[in-house]
Amino acid sequence: MSKHENERKRTFLLITIPILALFICFNTIPLIRGAMYSFTNSRGFGSHDWVGLRNYIDLFSDARVGKSYLFTIKLALVTTVVVNVLSLILALGLNSKIRAKGFFRGAYFLPNILGALVVGYIFNYFFTYIVPALADLTGIQALGSSILSSPSKAWIGVMIVCAWQAIAMNTIIYISGLQTVPEDVYEAGGLDGATGWKQFKHLTFPLIIPFFSINMVLCVKNFLMVFDQIIALTKGGPAQSTESISYLIYNNGMSGGQFGFQSANAVVFFIVIVVISVAQMKFSSSKEEQL
Amino acid sequence: MRRKGAKSLALAVSLAALAPFVQGCGNASDGRIEVEIVQYKPEAANYFKTVEEAFNASHKDIHLTISSPNDAMAILKTRFIREDYPDIIGIGGDINYSYFVDADILADISGYEGMQEVNEGYLEIAEALELVPVDGTYILPYAANAAGILYNREMFEEHGWQIPETWDELLALCDEIAAEGILPFYFGFKDTWTCLAPWNAMAVELAPADTTKQVNKGQTTFSAEYSELAEKYMALLPYGPSDPFAYNYNDACTAFARGESAMYPIGSYAAPQILSVNPELKIDSFVMPASDGKEGRTLNSGIDLGFCVTKDCKNKEAAYEVLNFLYADETLQKYIDAQTSVPCKKGNFQLSSLLDGMTEFIESGNMTDYQDHYYPSEMSVDALLQTFLIEQDKDAFLKNFDTSWQRYNRDIIRMVQEYEAAQKKAK
Amino acid sequence: MKNTSTVGKSNKTVMVLLILGLSTIIFPLYMTVVIAFKQPSEMTNSISGILSLPKVWSLDNFREAMEVTDFWNSLKNSLLISGLTVGLSILIHSLMGYTLGRNKSSKFYNFVYLFIVSGMFVPFAILMMPLAKQTAEMGLANWFGVILLYVVFYMPMNVMLYSGYLTNIPLALEEAARVDGASTWLTYWKIIFPIMRPMHATVAVITALAVWNDVMTPLIIMAGSSENTLPLAQLNFQSQFGTNYNLAFASYLLSLIPILVFYLICQKQILNGVVNGAVK
Repeated sequence: MSKHENERKRTFLLITIPILALFICFNTIPLIRGAMYSFTNSRGFGSHDWVGLRNYIDLFSDARVGKSYLFTIKLALVTTVVVNVLSLILALGLNSKIRAKGFFRGAYFLPNILGALVVGYIFNYFFTYIVPALADLTGIQALGSSILSSPSKAWIGVMIVCAWQAIAMNTIIYISGLQTVPEDVYEAGGLDGATGWKQFKHLTFPLIIPFFSINMVLCVKNFLMVFDQIIALTKGGPAQSTESISYLIYNNGMSGGQFGFQSANAVVFFIVIVVISVAQMKFSSSKEEQL
Repeated sequence: MRRKGAKSLALAVSLAALAPFVQGCGNASDGRIEVEIVQYKPEAANYFKTVEEAFNASHKDIHLTISSPNDAMAILKTRFIREDYPDIIGIGGDINYSYFVDADILADISGYEGMQEVNEGYLEIAEALELVPVDGTYILPYAANAAGILYNREMFEEHGWQIPETWDELLALCDEIAAEGILPFYFGFKDTWTCLAPWNAMAVELAPADTTKQVNKGQTTFSAEYSELAEKYMALLPYGPSDPFAYNYNDACTAFARGESAMYPIGSYAAPQILSVNPELKIDSFVMPASDGKEGRTLNSGIDLGFCVTKDCKNKEAAYEVLNFLYADETLQKYIDAQTSVPCKKGNFQLSSLLDGMTEFIESGNMTDYQDHYYPSEMSVDALLQTFLIEQDKDAFLKNFDTSWQRYNRDIIRMVQEYEAAQKKAK
Repeated sequence: MKNTSTVGKSNKTVMVLLILGLSTIIFPLYMTVVIAFKQPSEMTNSISGILSLPKVWSLDNFREAMEVTDFWNSLKNSLLISGLTVGLSILIHSLMGYTLGRNKSSKFYNFVYLFIVSGMFVPFAILMMPLAKQTAEMGLANWFGVILLYVVFYMPMNVMLYSGYLTNIPLALEEAARVDGASTWLTYWKIIFPIMRPMHATVAVITALAVWNDVMTPLIIMAGSSENTLPLAQLNFQSQFGTNYNLAFASYLLSLIPILVFYLICQKQILNGVVNGAVK
């Protein structure tokens, strides 16, 4: 037995070492090299000076950066909830015995593939022209002007587009999770009279918790790092109300000349997300164990 | 067995994958000198393709490659960090050029004979872009664009409207147009960069051309220099659509093309997009009248495309030969036709009828660079302007402008002041 | 009897809801198709104008879009990169996911798991410059480098998915093979790898999609090479001062087809939950 245990351990180690080395080489090392820039006033090219912790000190007194954290976190929280609720419902629907399953699954996948340029154009059109026209018809004054032109409401537009695109992916993960639920669980549950919501709450959901936590982590991560949708929809406007953290890092660091400063921003941002996500994973794995 | 199989399969797959890449490299080693240009205007890609072909057909000893990638700045910056420099780069005369000069990436090309033929106005503009004065010339100004007001020529003729030459005349014209039930201006302020167009166009008459430099030297503040400008900008807003922040550049171009407004304050670069929607539209332009008198009027124009030779370029003679070809009158004329732009070279060129209203200024060399060519992009002055136009709070805007400027330009200001101090000592 | 009737009823409600939800997809898709067939001169800011059918149904936009993007060549490159990335991801990430998923009680492997998963949260912008430099130094500023980077980029997410999937696969399956004297390595390829087929399909779809649409990595890593992927070539349609939406939309519709087909193939695999039968 112990001989076997040793063989198993050795195999696991032999698998881990090369893959981990690859990972460190192309993720950890460049991250460290990138983090070095956060102590400089580099523009990304040419010579630079070491400025010590200046960028980090600036970071905590920069109102624009602070605003972008607030916006991004608000967006991430709301969108995560919306996306998970909707895609769980959608996954259950698409997993039930319905006609034209293949068609529906294909159709609901489409938002994910459309390029950012197309999505940006169509939703801009939708919010700028179509929604106000519908509001005129129905007399809802609150929607009479484009929500994307209002600094207080533009984030809702971004949220809608993020959710619209993300639901497909989360649904797939939920569907693949639902496949791991053995049929006999339902059969047994059916005998106990568990149907509908009760069946979901007590039988299905506990079994797909690992997928629920994966989706939560992926959502929080994806929406905290939101970038494409911002570029496609608002480019940070109006009045800088939708500047996400990633947008600032890319726009000011890569396109602009603030490479050193935004590297510091990226380092802090990285730590923030890791802390949030590890906490999230710890939380959900403790939930898993409870069940 | 299985293990071996999987491994050899993976190997075979990766080898098969590599094959096409290996072939891709190392072409054209037929003894010709390779010259590579990366230029940042993807909209001119077709033009540069024909230039490339014509050049290679007529030159036996040099082989030219021109790439016109989108997001060329990101590409250039990554290539610089890898120390993989193209021989020639085509960029605009803006803050990036200032940075490149400062980073010592570009070669001094003042010895290039074509420099004699450049319109002095643009040489001065190029000179002014250096963060601190540097000896030598680092860019060959190629083509310029101009910003002011585009107008619907047929609509103006039909109603007999006159081209305004002062600020008051402009406002009177707007009232006249509005009285006929026509929208005077269209704005596409959802795209923040378009907020800069009227700003720049008015700034040339209302603020000193070297405002930013004076601020860097600590001689003035933006609150002092931009006050009138900000006020007049606000006064334009009521003549545009009711919610200008809902529409983007594309919406505004489409609306103007469809005759939904009489005028559109934007640069000459917008013409191709407008004409794509309505090829029949007759567009003309006039210089933005921002000051109260007719003296001291000037056109807002800056270097849209210029060529720089990198320090790393191995064969300067070959690079100059390429520049000669690009700078030949007929090559440049084709560029101007394709891009409705203004040549930076002296001589007789046929300008687009779109620029009729600006020709007088161009010919007399009466132009002033865009203020925003001195703004660091990370400060997002365009977004600050959008915020200002939404909130209409001039004092908050100018105060914010001053404090942000100090923050984003800290290193440059230090550099300028060190330079000034050194100059004083030398005297 | 009673049971089946309630099922039938709820399925009808599900169908109605699904069809209603579909409108949020049909509408944008309709706009995309219509715009892809129109001429720039047909573009307006009025709703009736934009929703109207094109004056002429002609494939000219598609033809021109294919020409501008050098379609077949770009398509070949995109297929190659996506295909190889997906293949390598399935092989490598599933192994790593298996190793980590089966060693949850080990402190070391738990650390490795968190270490790799946290790689997911590294903002790409901070990696860009160092990676551009590093790949060039290593002679990897080419397609192969891009694929290698993708395998690393998507490792955290895929490892997470695989090890999550493993929690529902009973250890008993492996133990049975072990009794027969098979090594861990062999057991993995013979028993676990095939059983994870639905997860392979999921990983394949997610990875392929991310790679298919990605612009940044090839842009940065292969900057200066003349080879294009489809998304890179599609950048040609837009610039700050003008975008040809009609051509762009036609091109995006074309590039949507291969990945949609791939998804439809994969989703059958996602469906075929092998576990159900295997557990018994």
